[in-house]
Amino acid sequence: MKKSSGSFWKWFGSRQARRAIFSLVLFVLLWELASRSKAWFGVETPWIGKIPAPSAVLLSWSGLVGDMSYWQSWVMSGMRVLSGFFAAMIIGIPLGLAMAVSRTFHGVAFPTFEVLRPIPPLAWVPASIIFWPTQEMSIAFVTFLGAFYTVVINVVGGARSIDVRYFQAAQAMGSSQWDIFRRVVFPAALPSIVVGAAVGMGITWEVVVAAEMISGGGSQSGGAGGGLGFFIWNSYLGGSYEQIVVGMISIGIAGFICSEALRHFGSYLTPWLKRR
Amino acid sequence: MTPASPPPAPAGAADADMVDALRRALPFVSLGPDLLSRVAAIARRESLGPGRRIYNAGDASDDIYIVLSGSVQHTFGAEVGAKDALRILVPFEVFGWAALLEDRPGRLATATTLQHAELARINGEELMQLLSADPAAGQAVMNSFATLINTHYTVPETRARVREVVRLPAASRRALPSAGEMSALQLNLYRISLWLKSPKPYLMIVGFIIFIGLWYYASEVWKLPRFKEMPGPTVVVKEWFNPDPAYGLSVYTPEYYTHIWNSVRRVSIAFVLATALGVPFGLFLGWSPKFREYVFPVFETLRPIPILAWVPLAILMFTQTESSVIYLTFLASFFATALNTMLGVQSIDESYTRAAACLGASKWQVFREVIVPGSLPFVFTGLQISVGVAWFSLVAAEMVSGQYGLGYVINTSYTDVKYPTIVIGMITLGAVGYSTSALVRLLGDHLMQWRVRELALGAR
Amino acid sequence: MAVKMTSGGTDATKGAIRIDDVVKVYDPDGAAVMAVDHCSLDIAAGEICMIVGPSGCGKTTLLNAIAGFHSISSGAIYMDGEMLCGPGKPIAEPGSDRIVVFQNGALFPWKTNLENVAFGPLMQGKLSKKEVYEKARAMMADAGLSGTEHNYPGEVSSGLRRRVEIVRALMNDPKVLLFDEPYRALDSLTKSVMHEALLDIYYRNKVTIFFITHDLEEAIFLGHKMVIMTTRPCKPKKILTIDIPHPRDYSVLTSRRFRELMEETSGAVHEEARKAFAAGEKEG
Repeated sequence: MKKSSGSFWKWFGSRQARRAIFSLVLFVLLWELASRSKAWFGVETPWIGKIPAPSAVLLSWSGLVGDMSYWQSWVMSGMRVLSGFFAAMIIGIPLGLAMAVSRTFHGVAFPTFEVLRPIPPLAWVPASIIFWPTQEMSIAFVTFLGAFYTVVINVVGGARSIDVRYFQAAQAMGSSQWDIFRRVVFPAALPSIVVGAAVGMGITWEVVVAAEMISGGGSQSGGAGGGLGFFIWNSYLGGSYEQIVVGMISIGIAGFICSEALRHFGSYLTPWLKRR
Repeated sequence: MTPASPPPAPAGAADADMVDALRRALPFVSLGPDLLSRVAAIARRESLGPGRRIYNAGDASDDIYIVLSGSVQHTFGAEVGAKDALRILVPFEVFGWAALLEDRPGRLATATTLQHAELARINGEELMQLLSADPAAGQAVMNSFATLINTHYTVPETRARVREVVRLPAASRRALPSAGEMSALQLNLYRISLWLKSPKPYLMIVGFIIFIGLWYYASEVWKLPRFKEMPGPTVVVKEWFNPDPAYGLSVYTPEYYTHIWNSVRRVSIAFVLATALGVPFGLFLGWSPKFREYVFPVFETLRPIPILAWVPLAILMFTQTESSVIYLTFLASFFATALNTMLGVQSIDESYTRAAACLGASKWQVFREVIVPGSLPFVFTGLQISVGVAWFSLVAAEMVSGQYGLGYVINTSYTDVKYPTIVIGMITLGAVGYSTSALVRLLGDHLMQWRVRELALGAR
Repeated sequence: MAVKMTSGGTDATKGAIRIDDVVKVYDPDGAAVMAVDHCSLDIAAGEICMIVGPSGCGKTTLLNAIAGFHSISSGAIYMDGEMLCGPGKPIAEPGSDRIVVFQNGALFPWKTNLENVAFGPLMQGKLSKKEVYEKARAMMADAGLSGTEHNYPGEVSSGLRRRVEIVRALMNDPKVLLFDEPYRALDSLTKSVMHEALLDIYYRNKVTIFFITHDLEEAIFLGHKMVIMTTRPCKPKKILTIDIPHPRDYSVLTSRRFRELMEETSGAVHEEARKAFAAGEKEG
């Protein structure tokens, strides 16, 4: 969302904020109307009519805020996301940089990588369960895969598009190969790494929620419980439909917080990208 | 005789760096992109350490040189009568042009590297041959050489008369089509031929062999502990191509194709719907600030919710399984398409819209003639992402609820302990997913011919 | 072919511009930044007016105001007596009587050269499609661009692109052509070819030309009149008439009068350039 620069409160009074707030309020009102239409007007709105109303959701949420297990779900999902995400970064960034720097390595590794990439991470779930000893690790592996592809693609793309003149300048000033890597390739690839991380983070959330639903819900029974995905599925099975929506919004918020944190960290790492 | 130096690297296919370097060299500045790439194709690279002799005055002059990096010291012999005998040459400067002089003298100067230098060498005869394919452009290049010699090398005009480009008789001229005449097919064939000549296909095969080899050894030969239950490649392949498969699914069974068809059908419906709704929506979001300020906040609030979190709600909304699966797939695609389309509109340089306004276009005409084509590259990137995301959501949705489909196959194969079928499902999924992506990309290339050519010829 | 002339135009109704005490103040985040400071300037119809000044001084703002892309804070701009923008009408309407040739070129990459050239009249719908394309082909041939009609802009050299862009503008019989440092990114050999091409086109189509540049040689070579602008906020520092006779060709560069004009002006330009440099202006 475009914000005019200046403090948050200054933005709050701006025209953009007013319109945003207007739309969001309108959205919630329409939702309320549509969900309650059967009770109020006797006519049920197709599809939306079956969704619990925002007022009911809010009520349910206020009840959950005091519930320990609700917050535990947050923590469980968050931990899975972070571990999968960091694994993807730790393995993906060096791999991507290696592919960008060495044409030979790129020629060998990239095609195989590209062949595996179209297989959706979730398709790996059964194979992952067979392979890894614990269910937790199998979820972690699938989560890792989700972010891994994105990170690598972005790093390779960013490192390869470095202007050749940076290399020439460094060589003319007498830099060694390692120096060039450390001081030219890596910083120049940093913006792409940050973008890859931000997108990868979003995918990680998707995969974690999916994996939690599939292994906690779906046809597999027992195993790793907890997590917001599992919470949503459980609420569905238990018939507490308002909680489903609470879960959805919670995940949305959690994902947003992670992405924003990442973006700020990224800005910190790449101060030269700030526009004048 | 030139002293011993490492032989120059053989002329490979035209590489982008060489084309770029040539473009900066004065004599070649006026060349169009196709002729430029052909010149680049006959150029050879040479790398010399500091203080190395390139050639001596009086040596035979076959090649012209261009400095790619580093620096070169160029000293005329006294008898040449140049005003400035000594010059230091830096990147993109041209020397060794004696190869192009009428009376074919030996080298007029001595050239030595000052720092470590990368040089491009072009054989004079080959260059003249190439230039005669397009005499007008070729003569312009020779004129540029003449100007270069006069202004930069201060050699009296009588001493350095540059050859004329001769129009060779049609029979001996290599007839290469110009860029504008090459059809898309020819361009693609050309690119494929470049690819085959490079080491890329062979490295690719090495990569595959390593991967499959490791899998094979780990699961079937060494039987590593983790791989105990994992089916190996031979088991999978045997099952896959078995007319009577042990687990019920192979290329010979009709059920295999039913599953593929179901998945493809769902993705197609969802994708088409998402594109039909998402592209106009995104265009409008990008085009109208008012619309954007009202609608985008709601859009951005809904977008971070993972698609799968919608599953129970989708089941509630659409009592039919089929519709809920398609809805979920649609939702994922829609967000990706709309967002990328909006970014595409916003990425259009305002010069284009301003130019159109100057030229008398109305607001609607600007939208139709500038905004829509201008955002196409981003739209197609978005569509490729959208297809990928659609498959992602579809598989997940099929695994949770659904009958038939590849996601369903993978899931049930696990619960029914038909492990090789899992891998068959995964591979099929990958192949089908990739094909759909490729189809989208091909469609994009077809609609954006201008971009394909721009990228293929490296012109700027 | 060309008409011998020294300065100014002959047709008083075709594109005379009067800039009358224009002020432009930007307001990013409350810090009022003055880009143009009470600038007044008269450009005769059919005259080539070169605007020279250091980077970031606000000359592009002036061009944008004439073209209708930016508003002005006060003052007025007139063309042939009619007000383009001024009190009560802070921003002019973009129109095909004042066409801009952009710094980095704005040929539509997704249209062929011919389609680009035909764009203006096609949009305006005054001629039939057949007539438009005929005219487009003829004008391209006139400018020596035959054979490139079906190329995309991305396939041809930047010098050629510039010429196509100028032809695209001329198709609409504009009164004024506004050039925003169009040859800035070209090397000196191509530039010299471009200059002669531009003058050649000018001699066939008498339009008023408002040309922004930072290249003093280019300014003296092309222009009837040269306006040296101060650094931001800009206003005319020095205006002089270049009395080298038209038609000009490249031999003009070594003439005595040329050198005299260079001496007269380079001091003033250099002084403003140093001020801009000290103020840390970014090239716009």
